[in-house]
Amino acid sequence: MGIVLYKEPELESPVLIACWPGIGNIGIIAVDTLRRMLKAEEFGEIEPWEFFYPKRVVIRDGVLKDLEFPSSRFYFKRTHKGDLLFFIGEEQPGTGAKIYAEGAKAYRMANLVVDVALKFGCRRIYTSGAAVAPVHHTANPRVWAVPNNESLLKELRRYENTIFMSDIEGRGGQGNITGLNGLLLGVAKKRGIDAVCLMGEIPIYLHGFPIPYPKGSKAVLEVLGTILGIPIDTTELEALIEQTEKEIEAIYRRLPVEIREQLDKLATTTYIRGAESGPITEEDKRRILQEIDKLFKKEESED
Amino acid sequence: MKTETTGTPRFKIFSKPETQLASLIVTWTPDAGKVGSAVAECLHTKLDGFEFAEVEPIDFFPLDGVIVQDDVAQFPETKFYFCLRKNLLILKSDLPRSEWYEFLDTILSIVESTCKVKEIYVIGGMAAAIAHTTPRMLLAVANSSQTKRMIEHYDLVTDMEYETPEGQRPTLNSYLLWVAQRRGIPAVNLWVQVPFYLVACEDPQAWKKVLDFLNDRLELDLDFAELSNKISRQNQKIAQARIQHADLDSWLGRLEANLGLDTHESEKLIRKMEELLGQGD
Repeated sequence: MGIVLYKEPELESPVLIACWPGIGNIGIIAVDTLRRMLKAEEFGEIEPWEFFYPKRVVIRDGVLKDLEFPSSRFYFKRTHKGDLLFFIGEEQPGTGAKIYAEGAKAYRMANLVVDVALKFGCRRIYTSGAAVAPVHHTANPRVWAVPNNESLLKELRRYENTIFMSDIEGRGGQGNITGLNGLLLGVAKKRGIDAVCLMGEIPIYLHGFPIPYPKGSKAVLEVLGTILGIPIDTTELEALIEQTEKEIEAIYRRLPVEIREQLDKLATTTYIRGAESGPITEEDKRRILQEIDKLFKKEESED
Repeated sequence: MKTETTGTPRFKIFSKPETQLASLIVTWTPDAGKVGSAVAECLHTKLDGFEFAEVEPIDFFPLDGVIVQDDVAQFPETKFYFCLRKNLLILKSDLPRSEWYEFLDTILSIVESTCKVKEIYVIGGMAAAIAHTTPRMLLAVANSSQTKRMIEHYDLVTDMEYETPEGQRPTLNSYLLWVAQRRGIPAVNLWVQVPFYLVACEDPQAWKKVLDFLNDRLELDLDFAELSNKISRQNQKIAQARIQHADLDSWLGRLEANLGLDTHESEKLIRKMEELLGQGD
């Protein structure tokens, strides 16, 4: 059990861009949009049954025809700016009700992805996810960059719209990246490959909503495009952004006025260290999240 | 006693059945109408089955304590029985909670390492919007067209069309069918209808439907008179309650006339039937 490669393309020091679903599906939307935009070709997969329960059975005329599992696929694309590998996981291999992978299964899957990266001589891996931040949904999301190697910091600093955890007021450069999009950085580090996680910001009050946040994906995609030297067509994402903005606005309007007033402050403040306008206080944050939680619970009981 | 030798032993084999071409009956607990456990118990008892192997629970069940049921502590079990007289293997197991592929693969490894399995029947109860007075249908899903041909002349529904609806996941029964298919073992899922209000109770009529098929197909020569009496007793109990409770009679009457019940009525019928029948007689 493990990796199945349908073909072994000859690639020159490719970059691997890997992603699994996570908060707001920011990373997976960004990476999958790039994969589709470049028409990357599928060339392999990780056998699923060790990691996942099946997602669909197909029975025709009383005979089992198919049992589908969540996919974990590899793709490749040769571009004039360099060769690319993609890995897209449809689900994170979790246990029970947990959304994010952890433990032995997650570690094994991350290692299988790195196995493929090493096999094709990858020089770097990018993963992507969401950065839950005290920002407003009308603001343009920034992209938090976390490398697994100090020597990458200088390079990443050059890219427009990226910030580090040390730029964030009160964090002191600390934080964590949950699930496989984070774990892959660690496994890559252990096995000697440079890796970077690019996380698009998602407003703190939206991260629990079961809707995507493509605005964050667009921000990630723009940074990835710059890094890889690939022009990005965001037309498709813009349409998705327009659609989700309407949903977000509808939810926002249903929040109590007092909470909305608090959240509106996020549109004009920043949590970046050293900036003039200060962020909302921790007490404000706590109260806002409590109110949103209450709103959710109320909606659930109305369903 | 033989155990798997690498790492933590995953299973134990106490003795090797003296057989080469056995059929395997797979049953799970819990199951709608207690179909799986009742079918396994009936076959095991009537055919003098003896335990020959078990799967260790450590990788497949949460071992963070025990569940107490009817005042008694329970512990997950996955046990294999062999019925020498009729060359039959029976698996009685709790539904595993993790590492499903490993679990199913282990099951098939055990039976293949102890004897050659001719065919597998996986038993399951299926909630249906029918009345208990309606004859049960037994639906069969095979893991190949050849396997389907072996069973299609029995009293079974063999033309099922199904795709897992959005937001749901396939059953372990389907998963086992697929794992058996990969190993080239003919396997059939047998789904018997259980009136939705008997799902948490016992449905002896559903048990009998499955047992009749197995009796016929595997030439078991078993007599189910006792089970027929149990069916009669349950039917009488419900009939008596219908006389006393007009609402119960009305709901069941509508189901008998193929008229549906709304969610509220269905829930009330389920509660009423659980009060009446409890966990079984």
